[in-house]
Amino acid sequence: MTPLSLAPAGEPLTVVDVRAGKRLRQRLADLGLTVGTVIQVVPGIGHGPVILSIGDTRLALGKGASHKVMVRPVSAGRS
Amino acid sequence: MVSWVSSSGPHPQTGHNLQTEKRTQALFTIALAGNPNCGKSTVFNALTGARQHVGNWPGKTVEKKEGVFQFHGREIGIVDLPGTYSLTAYSPEEIIARDFIVDDKPDVVVVVMDATNLERNLYLMVQVLELGSPVAIALNISDVAEARGIRIDRERLSALLGDVPVTRTVGTRKQGIEELVASALEAGIPQAGGFKVDYGAEIEEELAKLEGLAHEHPNIVHWFDPRWLAIKLLENESDVVERVAEMPGGSQLTAAARGSIAHLEAVYGDDVDIAIADRRYGYISGLTRQVVKHTRPDRVLISDRVDRIVANRVLGIPLFLMMMYVVFRLVQDVSAPFLDWVDGVVSGPISNWSLWLVSEIGAPLWLRSLIVDGAIAGVGSVLAFLPGLVVLYFFMAWLEDSGYLARAAFVMDRFMRMLGLHGKSFIPLVLGFGCGVPAIYATRTLENHRDRILTGLLVPLMSCSARLPVYVVFGLAFFGAYADRLIWGMYALGIIMAVFAGALLSRTVLQGDRDAAFVLELPPYRMPALKGLLIHTWERSSGFVKKAGTLILGVTILLWFALNLPWGVANQQDSLFGRASAVIAPVFAPLGFGDWQAAGSLMSGFIAKEIVVSTMSQTYGVAGAGDAEPVERPDFGRDLLNIVTGFFEAVWNAFKSLVSIIPGINLTESGGEIEDTKLSAALRTAFSPLAALAFVAFVLLYVPCVATLAAIRHEYGSRWAVFATGYQLALAWLVAFAIYQGGRLLAMG
Repeated sequence: MTPLSLAPAGEPLTVVDVRAGKRLRQRLADLGLTVGTVIQVVPGIGHGPVILSIGDTRLALGKGASHKVMVRPVSAGRS
Repeated sequence: MVSWVSSSGPHPQTGHNLQTEKRTQALFTIALAGNPNCGKSTVFNALTGARQHVGNWPGKTVEKKEGVFQFHGREIGIVDLPGTYSLTAYSPEEIIARDFIVDDKPDVVVVVMDATNLERNLYLMVQVLELGSPVAIALNISDVAEARGIRIDRERLSALLGDVPVTRTVGTRKQGIEELVASALEAGIPQAGGFKVDYGAEIEEELAKLEGLAHEHPNIVHWFDPRWLAIKLLENESDVVERVAEMPGGSQLTAAARGSIAHLEAVYGDDVDIAIADRRYGYISGLTRQVVKHTRPDRVLISDRVDRIVANRVLGIPLFLMMMYVVFRLVQDVSAPFLDWVDGVVSGPISNWSLWLVSEIGAPLWLRSLIVDGAIAGVGSVLAFLPGLVVLYFFMAWLEDSGYLARAAFVMDRFMRMLGLHGKSFIPLVLGFGCGVPAIYATRTLENHRDRILTGLLVPLMSCSARLPVYVVFGLAFFGAYADRLIWGMYALGIIMAVFAGALLSRTVLQGDRDAAFVLELPPYRMPALKGLLIHTWERSSGFVKKAGTLILGVTILLWFALNLPWGVANQQDSLFGRASAVIAPVFAPLGFGDWQAAGSLMSGFIAKEIVVSTMSQTYGVAGAGDAEPVERPDFGRDLLNIVTGFFEAVWNAFKSLVSIIPGINLTESGGEIEDTKLSAALRTAFSPLAALAFVAFVLLYVPCVATLAAIRHEYGSRWAVFATGYQLALAWLVAFAIYQGGRLLAMG
């Protein structure tokens, strides 16, 4: 489990946890980022702030927000 | 059971125009709801044909837009709700949208959905359905979805949502709009039980309890759908809870809801509202799997490839700066020939014709002077900058509509943090280069109040287009070939001062959470529709022309009187205006421009900064039409011919400079004629070059114009409007002082 800011780009990731306050969690949920969602980090942006894709949607997350979203690779299974 | 089927009856809100109309004519009302960037504005435009901006940056439609259109002889009212992702009370837009549906009870809510992104768009859809009002769906942007191999089973979607009509639309091409309206007119009340998100046994049990309790209070059920109310109470949405608590019997409900929440949180070990949102998403992703088929595998979107460069951590900022450079270069080079042309037409043929006309009808000398020296010289000197503004507005609209501005906000997030702001504040600031008023209103897209105020206080430091005339006039008068460097310098100075003021204000009067998260949806890149760009450019430019024709005309006429009263005053300096200006002039003496004319132009520039130029053209005695000489009849034919050929020459010159943009043609090459105007000569005798520099810097920084100030007051209250005026005056004075006195020291040392 890694924070989104350090996650590998270009591979499917499952959101495991959103370690943020209520407002930010609600905001991310409204935009489609909830626990269990499969996302990808758009490669080539750099680390810290990220652009991620949920289907065809692109979300930009600043460094602060991307540290708070915990993900693990889909291929890692359910362990 | 839904209690608000009929649109008649008493109504708690009175502010809506449509509402009064509805009572008398039983106007059928459609409310348009949808996510930002779903093409809702294009559907609205297709229906009403109204001139409205079609854009791409988040939270575009904050203002409520209404229209009326005819459909098969029937009059239908339409209200464009703000674009939102959700109907929780997360932002003012969401509250506006939700309250309209709850309180105004439109006959049908048309939910516009981006077919390329159904899953995300369904979140709002589900919430609208939960409100219990009749719904029709527009599957918009269907052409793009189909081209990407996304197949949506419309019949299945309709059935799963409880027989909600689903229409395929392409708003930009007006496809499916007729069918959409027809389906909306027939959309019935959702069948009881036809649509329901299953929130799981635990939550459902509590919902049932609250629903049952709500049914015991007819007054409450009259306003709110009971199931929706129960969900909102469990989500603990503060404004709904407060509203219910005030109703008779409501406190019983809210108390019960508190009990349910405590119970559920013990079960889930998590906030109930998050559990509800998760369930809703679960429902939606199940629904999506059933109706959406991807006939082609996922691929890397072109947009991602572009973002690798444009949004790159290293390349992003330099690219952005280059982009801005090219835009402003274009504004200068393309508009310069037209500027010459407008200036020539106003000061030549139009002045001559009017002069001839007023003397033909035997008008007294003073009236001639009022019209030619006052009105035409004043308005003309401002109108000459219209071509530059048209070009500027066009490119600003292009940046906005293409989707680039959202990327720029992302890239600039780190930089903006130094100002105590975050990336989203960047969009209003860039708009500030066009005009402060829309920029102030654009701060509404920011989520917290403190960010809005701080951004709003910095917007006036961005050099808006109204200040450009002042730089151009002074630049050409004093710096000749280096005029464009003066202009660049002023833009840079404004930005530097914003960084400085932002850092200072965020550490003193506006301290706040500097770690506020940056989360922004990036709209897909789109080639902006030319029509949309033109409408946008037209709206803003015509606003400027209106301002020139009303406010600026009025002020120049008032100014003319102030300069000529008491009646028959021989010397402008002894006039009302001269004497008033002379009183404040000493304040500016340490800045190098202590004469009454400079003080007077600054005073009138408070109305609108362009007026600084038109005032100077009156006070520095540039005009001379008050002579009693008989006026010769102008040769209209020759003048007209000159105007037309002059225009084509300007088009050709603009084209030439567009082609050779790098290295660009110098502004002065085509602006040579302006340099020799009487105003330039007068300015050179009144100001030293150093004082001119200090004066221009002062104009950049001092008080926002009246219109911007009114916007600040409207958005943040009088206190902040006073604060904005005070801090900018102080800043302007200090900077001009530093330039003038510092420059003198350097020159001596």
